[in-house]
Amino acid sequence: MASKIQEILGSAAAIAKGMSITFKEMLQPTITEDYPDGPAIFQERFRGAHVLQRDENGLEKCVACFLCAAACPVECIYIEAKENTEQQRISGGERYAEVYNIDYSRCIFCGYCVEACPTDAITHGHGFELASYNTSTLIIRKEQMLAPLEPGKKPSVVLDPAATALAADHH
Amino acid sequence: MADLVTLTINGKTVQAPPGTLVIDAAKRAGIEIPAFCYYEGFSLQAACRMCLVEVEKMPKLQASCTLPVAEGMVVKTESDPVVKARKSTLEFLLTNHPLDCPVCDKGGECELQDMVFRYGAAESRFTEIKHHVDEKQWSPIVFYDAPRCILCYRCIRVCSEGMGVGALGIVNRGVYSEIAPSHGDHLECDECGACIDICPVGALTSGTYRYQTRPWEMKHVGTICTFCSNGCKTTLGVRNEKIVRGNNRDKSGINGEFLCIKGRFAFDFQDHPERLTSPLMRIDGKLQEVSWAKALEAVAKKFAEVKARNGKFGIVGSTKTTNEENFFLQKFARQGLGTNNIDHHRSGDVVTLMDALAGRTNALATVEDCYQMKAALVVGADLAQEHPLLAYQLRANFRHHNARVYTVTRGPVREDQYSVSRVRTEPGKELEGVESLRPMLSQEPELLILFGSSIKGEDVRRLVAFADSLNIPVKYICLVDYSNSRGAVDMGLLPDLGPGYQPVDNPGLTLPEMMAATDLDVLWVVGANPLARYSLAAANAFVVVQEMFLTETAQRADVVLPAASAYEKNGTVTNVTGQCQKLTAAAKTMGTKPDLEIMGLLAKEMKLNLGIWTVQSVFEQIRTQVRGYNIPLPVVATGQAAQTSPLNGRIPVISRPDLIQSASNTLFTSGSLGRYSKKLTSVLEYPGELYRP
Repeated sequence: MASKIQEILGSAAAIAKGMSITFKEMLQPTITEDYPDGPAIFQERFRGAHVLQRDENGLEKCVACFLCAAACPVECIYIEAKENTEQQRISGGERYAEVYNIDYSRCIFCGYCVEACPTDAITHGHGFELASYNTSTLIIRKEQMLAPLEPGKKPSVVLDPAATALAADHH
Repeated sequence: MADLVTLTINGKTVQAPPGTLVIDAAKRAGIEIPAFCYYEGFSLQAACRMCLVEVEKMPKLQASCTLPVAEGMVVKTESDPVVKARKSTLEFLLTNHPLDCPVCDKGGECELQDMVFRYGAAESRFTEIKHHVDEKQWSPIVFYDAPRCILCYRCIRVCSEGMGVGALGIVNRGVYSEIAPSHGDHLECDECGACIDICPVGALTSGTYRYQTRPWEMKHVGTICTFCSNGCKTTLGVRNEKIVRGNNRDKSGINGEFLCIKGRFAFDFQDHPERLTSPLMRIDGKLQEVSWAKALEAVAKKFAEVKARNGKFGIVGSTKTTNEENFFLQKFARQGLGTNNIDHHRSGDVVTLMDALAGRTNALATVEDCYQMKAALVVGADLAQEHPLLAYQLRANFRHHNARVYTVTRGPVREDQYSVSRVRTEPGKELEGVESLRPMLSQEPELLILFGSSIKGEDVRRLVAFADSLNIPVKYICLVDYSNSRGAVDMGLLPDLGPGYQPVDNPGLTLPEMMAATDLDVLWVVGANPLARYSLAAANAFVVVQEMFLTETAQRADVVLPAASAYEKNGTVTNVTGQCQKLTAAAKTMGTKPDLEIMGLLAKEMKLNLGIWTVQSVFEQIRTQVRGYNIPLPVVATGQAAQTSPLNGRIPVISRPDLIQSASNTLFTSGSLGRYSKKLTSVLEYPGELYRP
């Protein structure tokens, strides 16, 4: 008999202990996320979809040195380089990437490209919603990766008025 | 080699002939001594101080690139003082070097980059702002970025010694020193680009390759240059089926590192906007694009119809298509169409030379002989313009072996700079000039004779008789124009000679006779442009042209079949000295087909049995049927040059000297094809003394 009473009391104590934790946690802030109903929250160094950065003048930082493509273990980066001209300046260096594609069906987000970049042009953003029903849409072009221009900054193509006039004379 | 000098390098006993430089002796013993300014084959400079080594009993570090070996010498190349000196030298070279490796074209194959990686210090003590000078453009091809330059003088030496041009020099002093063209702000030179390739850093960059790609991003394909007849190997850098650069840094091929403007830069005809990429057919008087099937069907139908009624064919072959294509074309003509009316543009009297030398061995020179033989006689040719590799070899021969060179030309040529005797003659009177050299030539131990197209017919025999009377060993080179001019003759693109100089029973029409025949039914032109020089008399002739561009001949055509260029196909070509080399397809142009495939498909459409028409099987037929071409397959397959020697037997035909005329191309022209290279047409050079306006 005594053992029965003891068992009931013991169970009640266990429930009380468990519920005390539950009630205590109810008063704490939630740590789970609401994604996709709410925004996803990231660690600062999360390696998401790449962003191609611009310098303080709004010019592209990428000088098409191909080091990211060389560092890439899955060879998902494709670049075509071109020379900046007097009339049209795209990047800060002598040349710029005319084409810069990343194939996200191959990218493993290892971050080697970011480490290799000598101009800090390619960085990992926090974009991660890359799923697609069609692999062809997973090849992302430079225009889709470029950081947006800050309001008030110059456009990426800086036209030198004098040089443009000179070129017009030649034609 | 009885008295070799014995020395010790890094504790290793090394033997070398007296006079060998320590840097070379070490290299042969497998010990690397880093150096920038030292370059095998050119004069010594001792400018860069990278090759310093420690030699026992010598108080200071010694520059191993100027130090000859001595008996009992003890050299250390990795001792502490040497390592420290190298580090400091590199640090010093980097004082003003901009370190813009990410945008520099040389990045990835830069000698300075490699050296700093291997021997340099990670940090620099220099904190001063680097001296900057803006980049200069010296010509459409050569750009110079002074801050990157390490002043090794390689470009200056390759230009003055290697090319014999001397377009570069050095100006200013100290930190302001820089390389400058001899003509102020621009180059007046061969535009060969040797300075760009030899530059150990990215100071000299090429106008074609600049900022296009990176060395490791390209596919490197070694093939034979398609312009002149010298047969230089050019290693094409290809990215995305586009040729972006040509060079031969790996020293493969008979030309070593040498290339002229054509081999290094003139590949750009390959993606010229006017390149034909679809068959064209004349419909309602206008050339219109049609499918391959339709075009081939129309041609086959016409060929079969004309063949059935015994009509008159005229077939013009090319001096730039491969041996396989030329062989198959003459087979198509002779067996398939039953005609001997086949010819090509003849630019040198190879036939008479082969006949005059019949039965001899060792009478045909190779490119290597131009570098090795003790004396050379150049008759009626501006070698530096028309045959740049042979000229380069002769110059190197003079520099290294003190070769004695004689020239008999109609005007000043570059070989005059170092020739022992130069004779000016009227064209056609060269033999008199040669005769005047008899006393000197008969003193030579051996002689190499190079003769141009002004020596033809009986003159060739007279020249050979003259050389025979000297009683010394003589070798010959009959100069011809284009990459496979020699192969075209060997393969029998002639109305009176079949493959391997076998005479045919009923000689056909020559090229001018075809063009003049008013009753010609079909004119089939494979990779040639005869209408640039002749007019076609037969107004109703059906003209079929296999071409890359809409040339004068193609414009007159009824059917134009777009052909692949030499850089887009496999096969073999034979150079001016009879050396057979392999072409390897580097790129593709959509819509085109190699000429061999076009002819094969035509044969199939006509239901002719001409055998299998793959490159390999046709080459096998050439090896068994063309005399002199029984060359070892491994030599050709591994990309080396195999010497052909078609000298076994007389050639019982009378060559037609009146039909032999060299186009006298300069460094900057190359028949019809040269017009479609933007780089070749963009340089402003005048090509040489003979051509000065």
